[in-house]
Amino acid sequence: MKKNRHDENPHPGRRTFLKAAAGFMGSTLLGGIPFRAFAQAAQLAPADRCFVFVYFNGGWDQLLAFDPRDPDEFTADRASETKILPGYNLINDSNFRDRPILPAEMVGKPRSNIDFGPAVGDALAKHYDRMTVIRGINMNTLGHEVGYRYFLTGKIPIGSAARGSSTATEIVGQMSPTVPIPSISYNVESYNDRYPGYANALRVSRRDDLLLTLRASSNRLDTELENQLINLRGEPVTCEQAAYGARGVGTTYANSQEQMRLVQSQGLDQAFNFLANTPEMAAVRSRYGLTDQGSVDGERGRAALVGTALKKGIAQCVTINLTGGLDTHFGTQLTHANNQRRGFNALASLVDDLRESDHPKGGKFLDRTTILVFSEFSRTPLINASGGRDHHLCNSCLLIGAGLKHNLVFGKSGDIGMSPGTFDLRTGAADPNGENIFPEHVIATVLASAGLDYSITRVEPLRPILA
Amino acid sequence: MRRLVLSAALLALASAGCSKSEEKPVAPPLDGQLEPIPNPHQPGDFEPLPDPEAQGGSVGRQPRRLTVAQLDAAILNAVGRRWTGPGNDGIDARATSLGRADYALVASENTEPNLVFAKFLEDGARYTCLEQAKVEVTQTDPSLRTLSRTLPGTWGDLRKLTDAQVREFLVYNSTRFWGSPLSGDELTKWVGLFTQAATRVETLTANPKPRHQVLALVCIAMLTDPRFITY
Repeated sequence: MKKNRHDENPHPGRRTFLKAAAGFMGSTLLGGIPFRAFAQAAQLAPADRCFVFVYFNGGWDQLLAFDPRDPDEFTADRASETKILPGYNLINDSNFRDRPILPAEMVGKPRSNIDFGPAVGDALAKHYDRMTVIRGINMNTLGHEVGYRYFLTGKIPIGSAARGSSTATEIVGQMSPTVPIPSISYNVESYNDRYPGYANALRVSRRDDLLLTLRASSNRLDTELENQLINLRGEPVTCEQAAYGARGVGTTYANSQEQMRLVQSQGLDQAFNFLANTPEMAAVRSRYGLTDQGSVDGERGRAALVGTALKKGIAQCVTINLTGGLDTHFGTQLTHANNQRRGFNALASLVDDLRESDHPKGGKFLDRTTILVFSEFSRTPLINASGGRDHHLCNSCLLIGAGLKHNLVFGKSGDIGMSPGTFDLRTGAADPNGENIFPEHVIATVLASAGLDYSITRVEPLRPILA
Repeated sequence: MRRLVLSAALLALASAGCSKSEEKPVAPPLDGQLEPIPNPHQPGDFEPLPDPEAQGGSVGRQPRRLTVAQLDAAILNAVGRRWTGPGNDGIDARATSLGRADYALVASENTEPNLVFAKFLEDGARYTCLEQAKVEVTQTDPSLRTLSRTLPGTWGDLRKLTDAQVREFLVYNSTRFWGSPLSGDELTKWVGLFTQAATRVETLTANPKPRHQVLALVCIAMLTDPRFITY
């Protein structure tokens, strides 16, 4: 098994536990109420290292996103030769440029080495100094489920059945964070093939599902009876209870009940009530551009959910289906570009938020968060007879944040037909005798960026982009 | 030629395989000829149970959490009603989150009592216990009740129950929920809970007094106890 350096703080909960235990013992000695003291002593804290996996559903057009081409070079006249037609002029909308975006050089930042497709937009492109783009990824599939599950797990599925655990599960399984819901999968599948249940993601299909978990039960007893119930649960266990709880399940259940009370005592469901009339929610609305229930349920609301879950210490990993409508075999370039732009704008708000928010352990949240943005495959570089683009093998993805070198492009797709390239993966240089970049290389890189064991991927990470 | 040699070899093997071995018939056993069976109850003939003191106070296998199907049946038997509702909510709607495998994405039942399980079981306990308690308050035939079967036909102020009646109620329900009766100091603790709750309810100004909450409180506490979800 490959050995990596360990996480700097693999047992972050010890101090919290000791504080809680001290509260418990102290209150017991003073004749107080143990669990109230416990709840007061143990505060939720964000994970030291966070991960976000952002899925663009349907297969994105990478010419519009992270692998653009110069329309002056790849013209319609040369399309039969290059097999590439950027088609930026066909978008024909003032919100989109007709050529790739090269972010303006900012004061104190190096010039951008990354060019972006017009759909990315300036809001996200301005974070080029915290990004790495990987191009020329060979997806080995043109099937939606296969490519999607391949990127989720870093293992090529058998047929369309996923193999192995989701990367988020792998991370949580290895790091065992103390946050109440270590992994949230928002409208995305999650797999666990070798870790105990604590590593399972909480799968939600919408915001309300998450709120259901965080919200106190609606069937309440009289306040005093509720207190009596809390006190009963807080009293020392009997020998019989101890016999059940001494090994495993009873202890885990008791801890889960305690976590539940802790979560509910903090009113965390209110943290996602983005339309509430409070200064805190007004700030969230302003940052993410939330105006009504529709926007809360859309891409911007999802991005706000991710940011809140990480910042409030509710989750360590969030895997989110941020936007869809990208499987555009028919229709116009504008439709696809608009659908991508909604996702990228929401992502830009999230990056803004994480970049500006202080982490309690020092630095900003983005210094401790790795974001992987991916889609199951890309779309053909040529436009089909219906005005859309079909499925294409060669893909690209975006990495943002911690553990990585920034302002870097790794890999390249071919200038004829955007085919997957071969590279010397130790240096990133094109090499006819080299290897393809596969999703497992990306997943290994994400794991290695946090010093985690990446041996499940059976490949080496892309070391040139590791910080 | 090769085919001929192979056929001959096969014939030779077949004839060898079909020939009967000379086995002597064994006479049926007679009384007194059987091998003596060691008495399993003799010391030294069996592995003694491990010393609980050396096992952290427990013996036998690890306790396991109920599966969703077991939990469903257990709630029905203990409380007297399934967890269904309100609306489309209930144990069926939350089965996946409680750990049931869908055999598409998840191939084995997750019986980890994690945060989501604890939260959803609490929701289910509160809903089913309160609904059942409401019904039982109005039910005058004790044999048709589940939680309050040991209480008198008509009961109002629960403070008027004798200590023996309260203890009988708690022992009956703990046996019903956990399979083991409350006893000793723990029973006294639960009597205190019941008495406090009964007293509190009578101080409320609501009319009628929400006496069903006393039953529901005991029911919720027992249903969310580790002894209910483990076996």
